[in-house]
Amino acid sequence: MTTNPEGVDAPTTVSIAAGPLVGPILRRVVGMLAARADLPLDRLDDAVLVADLIAARAPAHVLHGTVDVAFEPGPRTLSLRVGPLRPGGGDALVVDAAVPGVGNVIEQLADELRVSPEGEREYLHVRLEYAGATN
Amino acid sequence: MGSYAQTQLRPVTSMQRVDTDVKLTLPARPENVSVIRHVLGAFAEALRLPDDLVEDLRLAVTEACTNVVRHAYPPEHTGPVEISILPLEEHVTVVVSDHGRGIGTSSDTTGPGLGLPLIAAIADVVDLQPVPGGGSRVAMTFSRQRRGDVA
Repeated sequence: MTTNPEGVDAPTTVSIAAGPLVGPILRRVVGMLAARADLPLDRLDDAVLVADLIAARAPAHVLHGTVDVAFEPGPRTLSLRVGPLRPGGGDALVVDAAVPGVGNVIEQLADELRVSPEGEREYLHVRLEYAGATN
Repeated sequence: MGSYAQTQLRPVTSMQRVDTDVKLTLPARPENVSVIRHVLGAFAEALRLPDDLVEDLRLAVTEACTNVVRHAYPPEHTGPVEISILPLEEHVTVVVSDHGRGIGTSSDTTGPGLGLPLIAAIADVVDLQPVPGGGSRVAMTFSRQRRGDVA
């Protein structure tokens, strides 16, 4: 039997074949987890918008034909790790998310945005939180 | 509800690897069963599955996931529940698996529950398999052609 050390939850991940199911599934999972993380409604909307952009742009940059996202919900925080992506795919995904006249939506909405290379692959990390989270 | 095709509930010794369109892994907690139900809803909407098929999918998958939440892991540990959804032209297969204590070894119930018989009554084919290394795997296949559909 495989179990985790006490107090450590199993990870939350979703893997969706690049195609028409990515958007509907990813936005639903992100919406549920953002609500679970007690993000206020405006930040929940932001999280779903980021999910929609990732769903729309990530398939062009993934390594194995699936869009893989790992989630780390926290108190009024939701972190996403997107990948594995092909080399250069993390930055390209963010650039692709620019909307004419609006700018780069993911950059504007995320509290943290970084790309971490791991050998021949890389991951895009996106964190959204509620600024008034301290209490 | 119920299937017009023969329902099978049987142990299968070999693992069959399938390419899935959607694979979701979550901590086996009660609140995550609702996440799984929502994902099924999104899946069904995107593929425009008929309502009665969606109801059957939701009920069977909820039962399978609830079994994992209740019985797969000891209370002090929360392991993963994995859901794979494979939509094909003629049918939809959903696989719910865990890495817990396996089939039939739970000591926290006094008798057989309704979960597996209910799943067997709803799905067209059910495969119940042990997972090598520990755990169980329930594969449920639902025909897209529902009872009462005109051929």
